[in-house]
Amino acid sequence: MLTRLTRLVVLVVALTLTLASGVVAADKVTIEYWHGFTGPDRPLMEQLIAKFNETHPDIEVKAQAIPWGTMWQQIPAAVAAGKAPDVAVANEDVITGFIARGAFAELTPDMLATAGIDKNRFYASLWNTGSYKGKDYGVPVHSVALVLYYNTDMFKKAGVDINKAMSSREEFLKAMQKLTIDKNGKHPNEPGFDLNNVEQWGTMLPLPWMGGCIFYSFLLQNGGRLVDDDATKAVFNSPEGVDALQFLVDLIYKYHVSPANVTEDGSIAGFRQGKVATNFNGVWRVNDYLNQEGLNFAVAPIPKVGGKTYATWGGSSHLVIPKARQVDKKRQEAALKFIGWITQPQQNLFWTGAGGLPTQPVVAQDKSFDNSPMKPVFASLGNVFATAGFPWVSQVRGAMDEAVSSAMLGKKSPKQALDDGVKLADQQIADAMKNIR
Amino acid sequence: MDRATRNRGWERNERRPRVFQFSESNPLSPYLFLIPHAALFLLFTVYPIGFGVYVSLHRWDVLASTQPFVGLEFYRRLLDPNTVQFQFFWKTLLNTLLFVAVSVPLLVGGALSLALLVNRPISGRGFFRAVFFAPNIFAVSVVGLVWRWVLDNQAGLVNIVLDEYLGVRPINFITEQPWAWLSIILATLWWTVGFNMVIYLAALQGIPKTYYEAAELDGASTWAKFSHITWPLLSPTTVFVVITTVIASFQLFGQSLIITGGGPSRSTQSVIMYITEEGFSNFQFSSAAAMAMVLGLIMMLFTVVQFRALARDIGMGAKGDAR
Repeated sequence: MLTRLTRLVVLVVALTLTLASGVVAADKVTIEYWHGFTGPDRPLMEQLIAKFNETHPDIEVKAQAIPWGTMWQQIPAAVAAGKAPDVAVANEDVITGFIARGAFAELTPDMLATAGIDKNRFYASLWNTGSYKGKDYGVPVHSVALVLYYNTDMFKKAGVDINKAMSSREEFLKAMQKLTIDKNGKHPNEPGFDLNNVEQWGTMLPLPWMGGCIFYSFLLQNGGRLVDDDATKAVFNSPEGVDALQFLVDLIYKYHVSPANVTEDGSIAGFRQGKVATNFNGVWRVNDYLNQEGLNFAVAPIPKVGGKTYATWGGSSHLVIPKARQVDKKRQEAALKFIGWITQPQQNLFWTGAGGLPTQPVVAQDKSFDNSPMKPVFASLGNVFATAGFPWVSQVRGAMDEAVSSAMLGKKSPKQALDDGVKLADQQIADAMKNIR
Repeated sequence: MDRATRNRGWERNERRPRVFQFSESNPLSPYLFLIPHAALFLLFTVYPIGFGVYVSLHRWDVLASTQPFVGLEFYRRLLDPNTVQFQFFWKTLLNTLLFVAVSVPLLVGGALSLALLVNRPISGRGFFRAVFFAPNIFAVSVVGLVWRWVLDNQAGLVNIVLDEYLGVRPINFITEQPWAWLSIILATLWWTVGFNMVIYLAALQGIPKTYYEAAELDGASTWAKFSHITWPLLSPTTVFVVITTVIASFQLFGQSLIITGGGPSRSTQSVIMYITEEGFSNFQFSSAAAMAMVLGLIMMLFTVVQFRALARDIGMGAKGDAR
């Protein structure tokens, strides 16, 4: 019995070795790649992968498209079990948390050199989203930002110049007042304005997540920040934060250029139907508007309403190498080659067809963008900042969104709302810190 | 001793009963029948619960190299008013209880009413049965999106009709109370009432016609027939429907998530939503596991109490039990 078993084992081992040597002989490395581009962007990602496989006969990239939320649940378990993919994509809101918990491998200068990646090629704020404590972990592959869509017909009719309107808080407010019209043709800064019968709104400030993105942009423009230097305390209730939120609240309740209780769906529908002159949303919304018949619009960077600098909320996706139990040099090298290739300007240019922004200035200068509706925002891409950079982004962002919502719904004063938000964020940060060790 | 008995005795002596033999003589028989279910039950119910208890007693993170034991720390937090967990767990549990208290009577009463209606010999009743049941086949994401769009503050169908055709101010169904709750309850009712209806319908058809005929001979009114025949005979079904509906309502998740996002100010956030947030957004797995354990205990308690309370009312069933 035992000898028979031994013989069987020997046979199996021999067979495996033969097969394995066959693979080695072909000299082809197969790597696994997980990404969350499951929407209309999926075919473009698949085309890129096919092209890589075609041009790299020694590497085979096997890709799996997994919805983002599912992937965040699977990555930790896969890393712990030693079954993580060779390459994965992590978004700005989770990447630092995963880095701090030890899920991703550091991309050392040597590794970046192997991949042929020069980090100075990318927008600095975008690249830094994939870095933590001075070390690099992710290479940006996808970038989005908050922009302002505006109805060109309405702007023309009201005689408002977009560049002027976006240049300062006063100009933005003036433009919004001109663009808000009640059924008697009166504007909100005129006596007799009928708030209950507004025919056209200047803007619609939506809740809660999109509202958070707008607030965050204005907070940064004021020189404010989400968290302090070592990210252990939330600080978005600073005077800069209160001022930013007060302005948003005033646009609704004092200047009446936006209705209250706006949902994101509502703001989008209002803009599509031509009832609202401007719409704050992400660059990913552009195709919806392009497909809307009779809607003449253009895209601008969001207004500069803060006193200090110019900034806009953005999001991004980064290619990372999840930690392996035992690093297989060959596979890691192949993974780096893939990361290096897919983040090249040429590939990034192709990828922007999926609705993303250029990840590097050299791509933004490409001639093919000359007629793109997004072109006007390219100049400000260096000022795009994600809610990112510390391990407890979702805890802080969630508390911030809740605070912004309650103020924009008129439930709390901006100061009170932000103080409550910071208190909640701090408690959740304290909890999270205990888990990261 | 007749031949048959002797034969059996003989067989028993001759053939040793094997362990896996299904026969009366094998004392393991009942357990053998239970094995297929027991295996799945142990693997997919008992083991996960046990693992959940383990996670809740440790500071657990799958990526961490150590999983230190913290005892009841995460349970203690649920009793300490200064913690976020205390504040939100009980708040969202109360939200959920409110939803259960309002939605269950509607889901049971509505289902019974619909079942009585479509049980009558009306024309096209097959069509109506199908129509009331149909929304059940949708995933919660579809139901949530449809109702979010129908009830949207600005762009929703209802508000456009109110505003442009009836001249009524639009209602903030998504961001103001009590409208936000109304939206969620309406969506839930539309989605699941048909399922309960079908169960009631089956039960109604199981009531012998002769009872009603006898009652009619005695001159019973429609109400008398309902309250003395239909309702008592439906009570086992009602127990089933109430208990399953309470459990389903306790698990409120998708409707709140999609329609209101838990807002305004977490007022429609359900306890399951909060547990998910704590686990998968804040990555506080142990804290989430502890909450899930407490919620599980509360639900079990509810079920036992309900079963006791309602089982007493079951006319036929309980008396037939001969105890």
